[in-house]
Amino acid sequence: MTAVADFEPKIIGFLCNWCSYAGADKAGGMQETYPPNVRIIRVMCSGRVDPQFVLSAFEKGADGVIILACHPGDCHYKEGNCRALQRHGMLNMMLEQLGVEKERCRLDYVSAGEGEKFSRVIREIVESVRVLGPLLVASDHNAEILSTE
Amino acid sequence: MKIGIYFCNCGSNIAEKISSAAVAAAASSFPDSPYVKIVDFICSEEGKLQFEESLKSEQPDRVVVAACSPRDHEATFRRCLTNVGMNPYLIQMVNIREQIAWVTEDPAVATEKTIAAIRGAVCRVRLQQPLEKKQLEVCPDALVIGAGPAGMKAALSLAEAGRAVVLVERTPFIGGLPVRFEDLFPAMECAPCMLEPLMGDLLHGDHVGKIELMTMAELIEVTGFYGNFIAKIRRKPRHVALHECIGCGECVEACPATTRNEFNSNASERKAIDFAFTGVLPNAPFLMEEICIRSKGVECRACKDACPMGEDVVTLDEVETTVERRIGSIILATGAGLYDASRVVGMGMGTLPDVYDALQFERMLSSTGPTGGEIVTSDGTAPSSVAIIHCVGSLDEDHKPYCSGICCQYAFKFNHLITAKLPEVSITHYHRDLVVPGKEAHALLQHAAGNKNSSLKRYGSIKDLAVTHGSNGRLQVSATGDTSTADMVILCPAVIPAEGADRLSSLLDVSCDSFGFFQELHGRLDAAQSTLKGVYLAGACQEPMDIRSAMLEGMASVGHTLAGLQPGRMIEIEPATAEVDETRCAGCRLCVSVCPYHAITFDSERNASHINAVLCRGCGTCVTACPSGAIAGHHFTNEQIMAEIEGVLK
Repeated sequence: MTAVADFEPKIIGFLCNWCSYAGADKAGGMQETYPPNVRIIRVMCSGRVDPQFVLSAFEKGADGVIILACHPGDCHYKEGNCRALQRHGMLNMMLEQLGVEKERCRLDYVSAGEGEKFSRVIREIVESVRVLGPLLVASDHNAEILSTE
Repeated sequence: MKIGIYFCNCGSNIAEKISSAAVAAAASSFPDSPYVKIVDFICSEEGKLQFEESLKSEQPDRVVVAACSPRDHEATFRRCLTNVGMNPYLIQMVNIREQIAWVTEDPAVATEKTIAAIRGAVCRVRLQQPLEKKQLEVCPDALVIGAGPAGMKAALSLAEAGRAVVLVERTPFIGGLPVRFEDLFPAMECAPCMLEPLMGDLLHGDHVGKIELMTMAELIEVTGFYGNFIAKIRRKPRHVALHECIGCGECVEACPATTRNEFNSNASERKAIDFAFTGVLPNAPFLMEEICIRSKGVECRACKDACPMGEDVVTLDEVETTVERRIGSIILATGAGLYDASRVVGMGMGTLPDVYDALQFERMLSSTGPTGGEIVTSDGTAPSSVAIIHCVGSLDEDHKPYCSGICCQYAFKFNHLITAKLPEVSITHYHRDLVVPGKEAHALLQHAAGNKNSSLKRYGSIKDLAVTHGSNGRLQVSATGDTSTADMVILCPAVIPAEGADRLSSLLDVSCDSFGFFQELHGRLDAAQSTLKGVYLAGACQEPMDIRSAMLEGMASVGHTLAGLQPGRMIEIEPATAEVDETRCAGCRLCVSVCPYHAITFDSERNASHINAVLCRGCGTCVTACPSGAIAGHHFTNEQIMAEIEGVLK
């Protein structure tokens, strides 16, 4: 396993357009740096995050995934974040069976105003995935299971 | 396929962190990406011109713009594509300013992250499809439910704008609650006088031809959607032809049956055929079938025979009818009511004489009310002391946790009116917090505070107060460490949604909040819109409010109606919505249950779900929920998102 200190994890961040993506923009406006490891995929609603997107991210080389939603009660689409939460619970059970640590797939809430919280959550996920080390699925049969093709 | 990549320096904002040269070099290995154009400020007038000129000369099939947040300028660049004849959905933006340049320490790392993000966008945009906005014919007319201040204002303003309005009112009269009051806060205007011109306009004004008023009516079914609703309205028989009746009251004199009058808080009697109260508009009586002795099998036609206008005015055989109207939007203006003060222990409501809630007292103050405006106790004498208890059930976790907002103001109005009629009476206000916002409301508080016979006593919790029998048949109000006698107690209960709001909520699929008020689409941005497209909120049906706010809300809902639906103009349907592939739909209906907008219905004949593109807002929850992969979320398809994931991870 790569030494923790040298390891730069690749993380996919699914951000909903209305709250967390705007929160990321807010963090940008504050011009405070945070680790560069998270590649952001914009979706209109966290309720659009299909578990197969997460599995696919792991299969294609991500070491971690973070889903950021509007706070409960604030969803632009009323309850998409609740769906995301339900699916995240289900995903965690599935990932556990595949031997993927649950810390690699986190769901959190960031509002459009929470630039600071966004940077903090990014720092936290990067650190927790860094500690876990790279996700080693590429060559074993998990890759086949993760593969949704 | 040819993908054009545009890189904006944003002056030094992006350029000082991200090397455009390195990006251009890396892009040469991206699929179908023959060029990268570097622009200084692509959103500037000059930048947009350069962008459009380049699109014209290069003729790319798809476009990637790496610049600021799409929340800033996606619409700008989509318009540029439209300007040069490209479909506006063939562009993908990459947010390299807010999400990379401004937040990444090391320029080399920022450049590397940018390259990955642009590669993701290139992979995604290749799969993006041209989408066309569809258009739909709509009905510009409106249904307004509730003829109180908000509903009347809305109906009249819509009619002035030339729209046909169906105004449905549950009671036999218009004017809502305040038309039954004597004077109004903050300026002590006479309520019927203030509302009369509005009511007159509604009944006889220049635009009366545009307004179809249905009293004693209620909405029982709505089908369709924004722009094309069909409303079914049930009309109870009034048994009096509104337009022929002259309001003389001869029929009332003749009627042999009596009952309590609910519109006078049951404090007076009425005949089976009678006016709701004196001065009511429309100025016509109505017959209560269940009170009329004909309902008991007695052959009586005293009212009909007494009518000086002939046989056709009193219509004893009239029956309930149901009518259908086509409208494009619905304004809910169903108003508010008062919390049942008998549920607040220790207030004596319903158990002690001379304890009134605010509505009962408003009627007592009213010159058209049961006492003709005289303030009298149950033994027929004028009170020498009155207690007014604020916050009965408001700001109270055991009842309603919210502040009802209007009570302090009308409580001080009561002070003013009582003092005007009975100058020597002593008045005690028992209050918690005092709420007199705005530039006018303080005057009544100051008047009460300056009244030598008035006092204000603050209490901590309603549990510290008790209204009980005192000596000599008087009432006694005990607060912590303080007991006073009173001849009359007036309670200011919490303001709650009017009866029937819950029924309308389930009928229309419009959400209510935890207190039963209609839920706004957004509490601040879209407070006059309900959670269902094309259904707007006006007045106290969404939260406690005064007449001024209700009228303004009425106008706000009209604004939405006029802006959204215009005669002869079709509405555009956003194409980035979801669509069901019927051949793949297994008929499980999971999508129907997850859609927050009730945009999905199940067609049992075709055994497939159908998404109404007008109602769909493109959240994609159903796309994810569909176990058969039968729903495509246009512009956010599985394939597009997966390609982007793969692209950024390469």
